[in-house]
Amino acid sequence: MSKNLRINKNKFIDQTARILFKFNGKKLYGHKGDTLASALLANNIHLVGRSFKYHRPRGIMTCGSEEPNAIVQIGNDPALTDPNVRATEIELYDGLEAFSQNCWPSVNFDIGGINNFLSPLLPAGFYYKTFMWPASFWEKYEFFIRHSAGLGKSPNKPDLDLYDHQYAHCDVLVIGGGISGILSAKLSAEKGLNTILVDDKNNLGGSTLYQDDNAFKINNENSNIWLNKQIEDLKKLPNLTIKKRTSVAAFHAYNYLLARENLTDHLSLHERKNKIRQRLWKIRAKKVVIATGAIERPLIFSNNDRPGIILSSSIKKYIDYYGVKTGENVSLFTNNDSAYEAAISLNKSGVKVKVIIDIRENPNSVLTEKIEKAGIKILKGYTVIDTNGYKRIKSFDVKKLSKDGGSVVGEKITYTCDCLGISGGWTPMVHLFTQSGGKLKFRNSDNVFIPDENKIPSEQISVGSSNGDFELDDVVNNTIKSIMVFLKLDKSNYEQLNIECSKEKQKRNIWLLPSDKPMSKTKPFLDFQNDSTAKDVKLALREGFKSIEHVKRYTTTGMGTDQGKLSNMHALGIIADTTGTNMGELGTTTFRPPYTPLTFGAIVGRNVGEFFDHTRRTAIHNWHVENKAEFENVGQWKRPWYFPKNGETMNQAVQRESKAARESAGILDASTLGKIDLQGEDASEFLNRVYTNAWSKLAIGKCRYGLMLNEDGMVYDDGVTTRLGENHYIMTTTTGGAANVLTKLEDYLQTEWPDLNVYLTSVTDQYSTMSICGPNSKKIIKKIIPNLDLSDDNFPHMSFKNSKIDNVNCRIMRISFTGEHSYEINVQSNFALNVWEKCMEAGKEFNITPYGTETMHLLRAEKGFIITGQDTDGTLTPSDLQMDWIIGKKKYDFIGKRSLYRSDTIREDRKQFIGLLTDDPKEVLEEGAQLVESLEKPIEMLGHVTSSYFSPNLNKSIALAVVKSGKKLKGKKLIVPMENKNINVTITDTVFYDKENKRLNA
Amino acid sequence: MLNFNSPIKEEKKYNDLKIIEVEPIIKINLRSNKREFSTKIGKILSILPPNEANTSSGNEKFNLLWLSPDEWLIYSNDNKMTLNDQKNLEDKLFNEISKLNQGAVTNVSDHWIMINLNGNKVYDLLSKSCPYNFNDFKNKKGSVAQTIVNHVDVILHNYEDNNLNLFVRRSFSEDLWLWLNDSARLI
Amino acid sequence: MFLINCPYCGERDQSEFSCGGEAHIERPKQPTELSDDQWAEYLFMRKNVKGIQFERWNHIHGCRKWFNVARDTSNDKIHAVYKMGERPPIK
Repeated sequence: MSKNLRINKNKFIDQTARILFKFNGKKLYGHKGDTLASALLANNIHLVGRSFKYHRPRGIMTCGSEEPNAIVQIGNDPALTDPNVRATEIELYDGLEAFSQNCWPSVNFDIGGINNFLSPLLPAGFYYKTFMWPASFWEKYEFFIRHSAGLGKSPNKPDLDLYDHQYAHCDVLVIGGGISGILSAKLSAEKGLNTILVDDKNNLGGSTLYQDDNAFKINNENSNIWLNKQIEDLKKLPNLTIKKRTSVAAFHAYNYLLARENLTDHLSLHERKNKIRQRLWKIRAKKVVIATGAIERPLIFSNNDRPGIILSSSIKKYIDYYGVKTGENVSLFTNNDSAYEAAISLNKSGVKVKVIIDIRENPNSVLTEKIEKAGIKILKGYTVIDTNGYKRIKSFDVKKLSKDGGSVVGEKITYTCDCLGISGGWTPMVHLFTQSGGKLKFRNSDNVFIPDENKIPSEQISVGSSNGDFELDDVVNNTIKSIMVFLKLDKSNYEQLNIECSKEKQKRNIWLLPSDKPMSKTKPFLDFQNDSTAKDVKLALREGFKSIEHVKRYTTTGMGTDQGKLSNMHALGIIADTTGTNMGELGTTTFRPPYTPLTFGAIVGRNVGEFFDHTRRTAIHNWHVENKAEFENVGQWKRPWYFPKNGETMNQAVQRESKAARESAGILDASTLGKIDLQGEDASEFLNRVYTNAWSKLAIGKCRYGLMLNEDGMVYDDGVTTRLGENHYIMTTTTGGAANVLTKLEDYLQTEWPDLNVYLTSVTDQYSTMSICGPNSKKIIKKIIPNLDLSDDNFPHMSFKNSKIDNVNCRIMRISFTGEHSYEINVQSNFALNVWEKCMEAGKEFNITPYGTETMHLLRAEKGFIITGQDTDGTLTPSDLQMDWIIGKKKYDFIGKRSLYRSDTIREDRKQFIGLLTDDPKEVLEEGAQLVESLEKPIEMLGHVTSSYFSPNLNKSIALAVVKSGKKLKGKKLIVPMENKNINVTITDTVFYDKENKRLNA
Repeated sequence: MLNFNSPIKEEKKYNDLKIIEVEPIIKINLRSNKREFSTKIGKILSILPPNEANTSSGNEKFNLLWLSPDEWLIYSNDNKMTLNDQKNLEDKLFNEISKLNQGAVTNVSDHWIMINLNGNKVYDLLSKSCPYNFNDFKNKKGSVAQTIVNHVDVILHNYEDNNLNLFVRRSFSEDLWLWLNDSARLI
Repeated sequence: MFLINCPYCGERDQSEFSCGGEAHIERPKQPTELSDDQWAEYLFMRKNVKGIQFERWNHIHGCRKWFNVARDTSNDKIHAVYKMGERPPIK
């Protein structure tokens, strides 16, 4: 186990810097520049996790984001642990701790492994079929199934890491820092375009970065040397931003892309302090270049999932980039030339390649010749039929393929090995292209889906291997050619490139390789993470599933955290072969964002904790805080709910506040009400049209209550409007309705009545409003504004005066929402705190009592005043609310008028607004409680309670409610059935207190 | 004399960035679609309201920002203007415009809070939560944009290079101030 | 998130706008003279097409102006933006 498989040549890994990390508790060492996967492989560890369904041992298979098997849990801090992290992507840092997932008690001895032996009993759809009948048993199965489901452990404490967001706007966004991305970014930035280049790795260059074989040359230099020079030049360009460790997660319409930048995941824990962990970039690009490359395909044969079976291009990267041997007895299995590149690299590094199994009958290229010259054996026209070894591959069996590739013939040959490289050709990464709305076309010659150049949804282009160009000469030449057209360049420095590329494009494609055993005895895995096999796909087809989307869901192929990056093409191929369909017609499953999993932290950014939602504060807020108010959220506003004194409960505080307001004086911060300033010669006419009542005759200096409807006749908002001048009004709206009312009124002015000369300006925040009510309110106002004549003659109810408090102008309205004699002071917000303090000071001798929204609600309920949004819910007309008096019947039109006599709105059995008294005056109803007439089944719900309080001023419980035909049911007894009792109530008038409105002028 | 209480009473400094509330400043909202309006404003303020979208006009005393084809915002450069002088200016405009049915004049001095952001990192900071494309805005002195920062409505005025004034409704100002300072430390 | 070219402010992110539903539904000048069915036609009936749909949008976090947009509901492409009171420039 503790072998060191590191070779000593390497410029990408700093072998002088040793890094300690732990895997499943065991101390190991790696180097700066390693991924967890490369460091594990260097320690000869292949077995990393267990598969999802059968708990089969699984090892590292790839070196990138497509990794299906090597997914680990990072860290064990309950707040910071990260599940399902790909070992092939996470960079090694000092102190990294990783754990295998989906195994118990350990990855080496996993009880769940028994599922592997039960696998004949667990085919596709097993759970659907077995646990659905009888339906009532699901509850019993569910616990056990859920318990065994899931991969990693989610953190169970709040995330301590910081995440944020950043918008960026650019001319050109290039996704992918491989050779085609580098060339695209360079051409773009040299042209002077504002360019962003993103790459998910920590080094630019893609796979060309370590392609140092002289079979690949550009202008007589090895391709890696040539590319490095381009990268050095690129870094000097001023209008280019390079974002490394940045992965594009989503490509939306209008070239709007989301990219996650990893800022600290590669740092040791102490270096991360106070730094942003991940930043989500929201990029708006005029043009997008997709250069995301391609992923190597595996081959599908029995037991192709054993640890030690690795994609050939990954073997090459581990040896050439990380300097890590993936084994010491390596063989390769391929259907194309890519495996020969790996063989050359292995050979150079002194790793003996025992044999190359090539399913092609006549592979011949410079590469194959090179290999043959090196004395490596090639078996042409052969296939691997099975592998052996449990926690690591030990050997594999080979047979000759029949001419048509449909079966195997001849003698079985067995080779020992500790690593088998596989290559099934390449799949272009078209995820982002299709996410953006692009359509794919199928290229029969090498069985790939590539972007259809006639179905590109936005200003974008795919280049390089993500566009289906896999060979160096095609990649470079076609990238340059198409970027020049795309960016409208007339010349480039790259027109006379001399490219030598020795790879042969010949490929022999067999989606499911034959075996000498019957299908039922084989285990050819398609989706390694979800354990679905070629057998499962065939079973699904036999059972009648035809659509690729249905097969996917039935077999769970492609539904793991890797989203089937390795498996989807083979599943499609097998479906096409089995059903005799052309793959182009079959189409693909839908590629959905994100391309690789995103953390929730990155998605929410800083909008957590105190930034989860906005807090609007009134100018008097700090006073409320200092005076121990409990707050209620009303929309985004923080409003004082009640002001508890000496440990009072909410109920005690509200009873005290309510009594004080009626007996002496109360004061309320009403600043949150919406305020709209109306000016213009048609202001009165406008009010006539938006409110139900008449406005033309309102005298200057007077106030009037108005009710606003929707066109459907339902009550929308209400408030008091004051005429400040001939053509000047100030309208108040409800707190929650303020923004919507303004938008709605602007809408009518701009679209339906553009002929009206009226201008609306929000002044909600300009003025703070404090309402002082109660029999002593007059005396308090007198103390603050001594020179204002407060006599009823000069300043009657529903009127307003301009005045001054000290040197500051203010507007005083005599309006009341409590039924008491009361005043509203409106003053510029920056002076409001001081005015409030003055009111408190002046009111001291009258025990002026600050009250909150709860007392306000109680006091108005005693008077039967509605609160829109509490007593109304968008289904009540003014008539339903018993407010027929406010409908200007003589007016020709107003918003919603026509709807007031639709057949539905004049029904007599509509729910109507009424008062309720409980038989037991101490019993307070629950708001929302249902009202019924009798308890005999079936019980008809007649309505519900909308507001309910214990009134200290009446010393009994009161409630408001809506009840079918309620208007005619005064005196009727109803029942409020509750969980453990039934409460008897009687329908009453909605006004409980001071029916004659005597107190307004008291 | 009543005490003046603005919601924010601090000045914050970060690397390449300074954030400060500038108050009290008179601010007046103007609305009109009448022809004579422009001339009247020119006479009173010695500045013409800009017709071009997303721009402003100004002199040493006042700035006049375009908000929409029939809406502008005046704000003064002077935070020492007395309440009386403010009132006089408001009355003058109101009498000349609103009273004569030439448009609307509304005092919004306390509706908006003005925060000055100054330094090389100004646009990096705003772009953390503002979808607006600042590429042209930042190079054009006097540019105006109404947009959202951290989901809150704001008016932005490019006052000088890397020096802009941000207007936010008073009730949201403390919330946005917290956000600005939280994000400024993360640049 | 689309980009919407506000006819007054220029191109802005969709998050600055709100959609007000189908365009070119004029409020009847004389509602009182309409039958219940005619009024219901105005009040409730909307086309909701797949393809190019004419919609009202408001630059609610910008200039607060309403305008019309011709948007393809199948791919969110905006084919035209035009002011209130103007006829659609495309079919």
